[in-house]
Amino acid sequence: MSILTDRLREQLKERFAERLRGPVQLTLFTRPGSGRLILPSGLGCPTCEDAKRMAEDLAAAAPERVQLQVVDVSGGGGEVTEVPTLTVGVPGERSRIRWQGLPAGFEFATVVDAIERVSTGAHELSPDSLQRLAAVRDPVEIMVFATPG
Amino acid sequence: MSLANRMALASPLISSVTIEAEEFPELSRAFGVQGVPRTVVNRRGAFVGALPEAQFVGAVLQLAGAASEPPQGGSGASG
Repeated sequence: MSILTDRLREQLKERFAERLRGPVQLTLFTRPGSGRLILPSGLGCPTCEDAKRMAEDLAAAAPERVQLQVVDVSGGGGEVTEVPTLTVGVPGERSRIRWQGLPAGFEFATVVDAIERVSTGAHELSPDSLQRLAAVRDPVEIMVFATPG
Repeated sequence: MSLANRMALASPLISSVTIEAEEFPELSRAFGVQGVPRTVVNRRGAFVGALPEAQFVGAVLQLAGAASEPPQGGSGASG
């Protein structure tokens, strides 16, 4: 069942048809079955089902361009333990862009934008910013704490 | 798209994770989140607020030890 309205899904289809160029890989890390149960921290996942429906809606808006993989982390041992986590990247490459928690509200718009930018490679940073980034020699992790807004 | 995501798209050495603060209260507390957006770099330094591109890039790289410009409004991650 969709989480987005019919109108929004139609807008997404039109927007992706116009803007997407290359393939995009969405990967959703989730813990199925925990539903909306209130469980001790680290066990439950009250937003996993909504995140899955959102990811499915995004992929369905451009099935020829956007692939969705859903990964169950219940068994442990994987790189991602916090759920839901959604990554956006190029198929076959390690994704460097992710959301932890349900990307609702304003954050949903940033997911849509990320899909479009990954598809086209259009980061649109200024030449000055790119020059600064060229000086980076070691991995940099940027964590941005946000609210749905 | 957030500037952090755009930086990750532009550089293979940069990764970006946007965390829904209310959904992960323990993590938010661990990184001293009192206002959003709060940007934490390499789990050490941090700054609060939305910045224009030049200032954001400069602040991130400064906190990462990869730039010479001082961050604006920077602090320790738990600060």
